Amino acid sequence: MTVETRDLTKYYWMGKEKVVALDRVTLKMEEGEFISVVGPSGSGKSTLLNIIGCLDAPTKGEVYLAGWKVDYRNKQSLVRLRRNFLGFVFQTFNLIPALNAVENVEYPMYFNKGGRSKSERRESAMKLLAMVGLEKRANHLPSELSGGELQRIAIARALANDPKLILADEPTGNLDSRTGKSILSLLKRLNEEEGKNIIMVTHDLESAKKMSRVIRILDGRIMSNEK
Amino acid sequence: MKELFALASRQLRRKKLRVFLIVLGIAIGVAAVIGVTSLGEGIRVQAVEQIKASHDLTTIEVSAGIEAGSVTLITDSKLKAIETAEHVLFVAPYVRDSYVTQNNTYLAVMGVTPEYRQIHGNLQLEKGNWFSEKGNPGEIVLGYDVAKRLSIIEDLGLGDEFAVKIRLYGEEGRPKDKTAVFKIAGILKSSGDEHDNQVFVGIKEAMEMDEKDAYDGLFVKVDDPAFAASIRDRVEGLGLTAHSAQDVIDEVNKLMVAVTLVLGFFSGISLVVGALMVVNTMIISVYERTKEIGLSKALGASDFDIMKMFLAECVIIGAIGGIFGDLLGIGFSVLIDVVGKPFLVSALGGELGTGLQSGSITAVTPWILAAGFAISLVLSIVSGLYPARRAARLNPLDALRQI
Repeated sequence: MTVETRDLTKYYWMGKEKVVALDRVTLKMEEGEFISVVGPSGSGKSTLLNIIGCLDAPTKGEVYLAGWKVDYRNKQSLVRLRRNFLGFVFQTFNLIPALNAVENVEYPMYFNKGGRSKSERRESAMKLLAMVGLEKRANHLPSELSGGELQRIAIARALANDPKLILADEPTGNLDSRTGKSILSLLKRLNEEEGKNIIMVTHDLESAKKMSRVIRILDGRIMSNEK
Repeated sequence: MKELFALASRQLRRKKLRVFLIVLGIAIGVAAVIGVTSLGEGIRVQAVEQIKASHDLTTIEVSAGIEAGSVTLITDSKLKAIETAEHVLFVAPYVRDSYVTQNNTYLAVMGVTPEYRQIHGNLQLEKGNWFSEKGNPGEIVLGYDVAKRLSIIEDLGLGDEFAVKIRLYGEEGRPKDKTAVFKIAGILKSSGDEHDNQVFVGIKEAMEMDEKDAYDGLFVKVDDPAFAASIRDRVEGLGLTAHSAQDVIDEVNKLMVAVTLVLGFFSGISLVVGALMVVNTMIISVYERTKEIGLSKALGASDFDIMKMFLAECVIIGAIGGIFGDLLGIGFSVLIDVVGKPFLVSALGGELGTGLQSGSITAVTPWILAAGFAISLVLSIVSGLYPARRAARLNPLDALRQI
């Protein structure tokens, strides 16, 4: 899926002070690409990710997903986009504590059954767990799993509805470097083997450079955009 | 739907103590309403049973109809219309008159047919006979008190004859006196009611005396109490007025239903507390799960999906509250019966008290239980609406950012 932003601008108001989070960001992502967005805290990289992920609306500018302009005023269409085309991976994993591993992976399918029966959904959730190497942990609750395991489950969950684009907001931020590397290679594998488009926000410039196109952002502006 | 509730019960199971406390709160409210309502219902049933035991529900009393100033008399044709109706066993018409003896003793006269005695089984002869079917001309039966009075004042006894006078008013309002001679054919035992002060003559004879062509009243006997209402309607359809013991029962029902509703309403105030607990708990739950709500939205949940998830939890809470409320309510009503009955019986005393002693003063009907369950369910859902809406409207990004 191609992703395009045109003059994407976002202001916040902190009291009376205007904060520019994004300043006329224009970028293009081709089918099957892996992009890392790098920048210091407060540079606007997460805002970019959230707007592309239909969780936040821009102040100005447009986003095109697969060539279609996103209508940020239409809540239902945003829900449909998130359901059918997008998968999220968060820094803090965000698994639901009441549900075990396989149920967490299955959770997004509940909102997007697509004619799949409960057992079919369970089956594909198990397959996704196997893909991230955690089928043996299927019945464990999040509280019983390590950070690396939780993030793998979260990635499996992001894949639940077979999205075209995966948005990962500092997926290795809460992990030690070895575990972080294994998560990055898992994402790389998804990009190469499954052909998923991935946009990842990260601090880790070195790793990012090795595996993807890197976009550097500073004060809401794109500073460099290197292949 | 099943999955929705499975998910909701998973969420609730994580906070067992909290759920237990709200369910208890609702259940106590429901139980209070059920207890009070069952008391009202029990007393109503008892009262109706007592009325049924002491009144004849198969008898309907008919009098002339008065509506908007015009009077509908009980004529022969109306009598026939009632008599020939289905389920009517017989009718007993009567006329009322006033005679005076030559010594100016006033006599309240009832002109009756033999059927009248079937309606009023308490008219027992002390001595003598009733006038026969066709009404032996000139025969009269005296009520207990009348007989006493006549024997003291006028020295009249069984078999004696005496003259009476009736004063009629013609069309011009000019009085016209008629006299007749009656022979005392029978004397009644005391009946303890108004009959002791009445005298009875054949209805034909009475109507010849007073020159009326309509009856003053009539009793209708039906074969089954179940048909009394339809016969009543028919009588009223003829423009006449009808009364029966059912009127008393209707009054009691109306009163007790009103009393029960008022009591139920006030005991229902405890339900408000339960409802507030649900609102409070669900709002806390929304706060606690804000991040989860944001996450669900990011993962593709719509506002409606979120709302459904919270409402499903309320439905479960309401259903459990309803079941426990019903069980507790049955317990309450048993308690009221055991503890309250001796008190009520001694407080009421007499006939009412002893009447209550035999039965239960509370009655838990399936209807009350169903209402208790429904109240709990509806209350929980309504209480959950605001928190659920609040959850549904959360901005996913803000919600996700919550720590």
